Amino acid sequence: MHTTFRRLVPGLIVAACLPLATARNIDLSTVPHRDTVQLTIYNSEDLTLVRETRVLTFKQGVNPLQFSWANTLIDPTSVELTFRTQPDQLTVLDTTFPHDKPQMLYWNVQSDFDGEATVEISYFTSGISWSADYVCLANADETQMHLDGFVRIVNRSGEQYENAQIRLVVGTINLVEKIAQLAQIPMDKVDQLREAVRSELRLRAARGIMKPASQAEYGSADEAGRLDEAKIIKEGLSEYFIYTIEGTQTIPDGWAKRMRSFEGEAVPFRIQYRYRPQEYGDQLVRMYLLTNDTPSELGTTPLPDGVVRVFRDNGRDGLSFLVAQTIKYVPIGDKIELNFGPDPEVIFELIKLRAFRDNLWLHIHGTDLFRRADDGAFQIDVNSTVAGWDDHEIYTQRIRNYTAKPIAVEIRRTLPGHVVFRSALQAKLHDYQTVELRTAVEPAKRADLLFEVVRHQGRNATQHNVTLEDAAVQP
Amino acid sequence: MRRFPYLTLCVAGGLMFLLPKTALARIKLITLPVRERVEIQLDHPSATLVEEERLVPLVKGLNQVDFSWANTAIDPETILLRVLAPAGDQPLDARVLSVSYPPNEAALVWEVAASASGSARVRISYVLGNLSKSFNYRAVASHDEQTLTLAQYMRLQNFANEEYAASGLYAGFGKQFLRPVGLNETKEMLVERVAAVPIRKTYTCDPAEFDYLDRPKNKLRVPMHYVLKNDAANQLGRAPLPYGKVRIFQDDGHGSTAFLGEDWGQFTPIDDELRLFLGVAQDIVVVRTIERNHKQRVAGNLEDIDVVIKYELENFKDQPAVLDVRENLRYIRNEVYRDTGRDVQWVLGPETTFAGGVDREKTTCEQVVFHAELPPRAAEGQAAKVVHKLHVTLKNEW
Repeated sequence: MHTTFRRLVPGLIVAACLPLATARNIDLSTVPHRDTVQLTIYNSEDLTLVRETRVLTFKQGVNPLQFSWANTLIDPTSVELTFRTQPDQLTVLDTTFPHDKPQMLYWNVQSDFDGEATVEISYFTSGISWSADYVCLANADETQMHLDGFVRIVNRSGEQYENAQIRLVVGTINLVEKIAQLAQIPMDKVDQLREAVRSELRLRAARGIMKPASQAEYGSADEAGRLDEAKIIKEGLSEYFIYTIEGTQTIPDGWAKRMRSFEGEAVPFRIQYRYRPQEYGDQLVRMYLLTNDTPSELGTTPLPDGVVRVFRDNGRDGLSFLVAQTIKYVPIGDKIELNFGPDPEVIFELIKLRAFRDNLWLHIHGTDLFRRADDGAFQIDVNSTVAGWDDHEIYTQRIRNYTAKPIAVEIRRTLPGHVVFRSALQAKLHDYQTVELRTAVEPAKRADLLFEVVRHQGRNATQHNVTLEDAAVQP
Repeated sequence: MRRFPYLTLCVAGGLMFLLPKTALARIKLITLPVRERVEIQLDHPSATLVEEERLVPLVKGLNQVDFSWANTAIDPETILLRVLAPAGDQPLDARVLSVSYPPNEAALVWEVAASASGSARVRISYVLGNLSKSFNYRAVASHDEQTLTLAQYMRLQNFANEEYAASGLYAGFGKQFLRPVGLNETKEMLVERVAAVPIRKTYTCDPAEFDYLDRPKNKLRVPMHYVLKNDAANQLGRAPLPYGKVRIFQDDGHGSTAFLGEDWGQFTPIDDELRLFLGVAQDIVVVRTIERNHKQRVAGNLEDIDVVIKYELENFKDQPAVLDVRENLRYIRNEVYRDTGRDVQWVLGPETTFAGGVDREKTTCEQVVFHAELPPRAAEGQAAKVVHKLHVTLKNEW
């Protein structure tokens, strides 16, 4: 009996003999099947909350139940039995974890009636995960893109949850212990490693936010026969966002499944070239800039962390692959910035044209008198060292545009120290030590942005910031 | 000869192919749609995108389309299935509902819903590893070394463990090729051949970059370069020149060519110069000596350093030559003073003798460039010694 039953784990057995925790070798039991199952999968942790319902027949008095989960990754401390019907006539008297049977527990349920009741068993399991990814297909003009968002669910939990309603949680929850670790430890060892409040904290974190949704009846429609994509319903909840996949899904153990979560048909974007060494390295990079909002045909959901793969219509009835880039969580209304790296058709050069020093200050110290030994002649020499000066550096920032379109360029340069930035470029300060310049370069043209950096050094440096000066600079 | 491609597309229709059952059922009838068209996009610096077009027979309702890529280096995350828009008289409309990935297999299963039975034209694209491109060049200079013919080749190496019949190959510039790509095959294709590209033959001395040929005698190493400008005026400039090896030959005047040497051609943007190092010129002798190193105290520990560098130049060739004399100002300061880490503030002194002054295009804050014209050696073999001086004052050093 047990040999065949292990294929069905986690399983629930209603035992016909009492009490269970005795040394009996001959048992009779029935195996109620799962009626519904709901998976709530978190992407920030290896954690899935499973809720399953089964219909059991109780007799008045004490009813023993056995629940086992051999070869799965269930956290034994999280298994919980509640009653969806007749909750006031059914009570869990106790829960027993037998020391000689790992991945198994017994419940003794006190029933005040004879008849059927629907029970809900919930538990945490590891091994089921989900992730988001995105595919962008830009048009040949690079003005609009078709943006598809996908969710991919991977089941390596050791269990096949058939016809499960699936909900995906976007957000970061707090866990004090890893579920995968707890799943490997027999129940009688768990206490040795846990803090007193560990379980309670975790339950509050994960079950708490699920409470409103769990009131609803979940999944009964099988995925079989569906000719439309399963819709993914998005809703905000506390600090999280829940994606509920319409209908039910079956993802066998070891398999992964990817479904479209949203689609933007003609998402507008603009191209900007950026030089921001702290963000993109010491290079001018080409960016696609778009916004996760309604005018951009997006904005129905925050975009979870994930990889964006960008292709472009190459104008020859085909695609070109541009980039694969990981993006961080993008709230509704926020910007999406895709970095394509340097463009070989745009040349970006910083040329130092001239350097000189002035405003030199000397620190006078010691005696200033020297006497020659042979003839006794005296010479006064001011004994001093350079203590302060200004370094002047004159640069041209040269940008050559060999693309077929005008380009917009934004340059941010961080200039540490006490600095004066002199130019006629209408520069502005991005922060106290970073200068921002913007310009546009026509196709097949070259822009030379002349500027002078004056660095106050030594005693001349009295601040740690950049001052902008609007003045023409001579090369 | 392989019978089956490693990249396989299988189609099965009907509800019997729902995933849970599929996972267990291994007996099934499938169709194998062949490739109608293949495009290999080589325009990305490091990734090769393959696009296949196939006619996929679908039945009304749900269809399962398996795609497997055993023993190939497809990046599974980049696989896209696009159903092309149906033609006007074709009622079939198909849409991908989901993708499933079986465990421990290089495969996936698309679940496709079709509005009617018929064939759907689909494009499958993926980034494929081990199918790479590189560039190389062959240049044949004219006998007088005034121009050359530059041929640019794209070399495609297919170690991807997959073969493709006639496929479109495009590097992002130049012409598009239609060629079969066999297993483990290397294919070289002429992208462009440009005749009469003007070349500038340069001799350059720069102790900071090229060092000395004979340090005790202060003889500088003088490399010879061919310089090509990647612009329209020089028959080029249609696209940046990608990195690659350049083999250089010269018309020997007798109907054949002689191999002059080879160099790695660096990535050359439009309007930039491609410099190809051919070897050290032994017939142009440059002796560099520091003639003067004079410190002048300004105040306290603040000093100016007056430096005169003398160049004794001899051209033992029977042709006149122009020598580019290049000096790095930091290098000079390190020779005569020390490395202070600060920028070099410098001014040219009146004793500088190079005609025409500095090359303003190439001179920067860090580097100064002059050109010296060298007459050919005399008929009896003697070379005239040309002497030039660079006078520079390094200011405000301490």
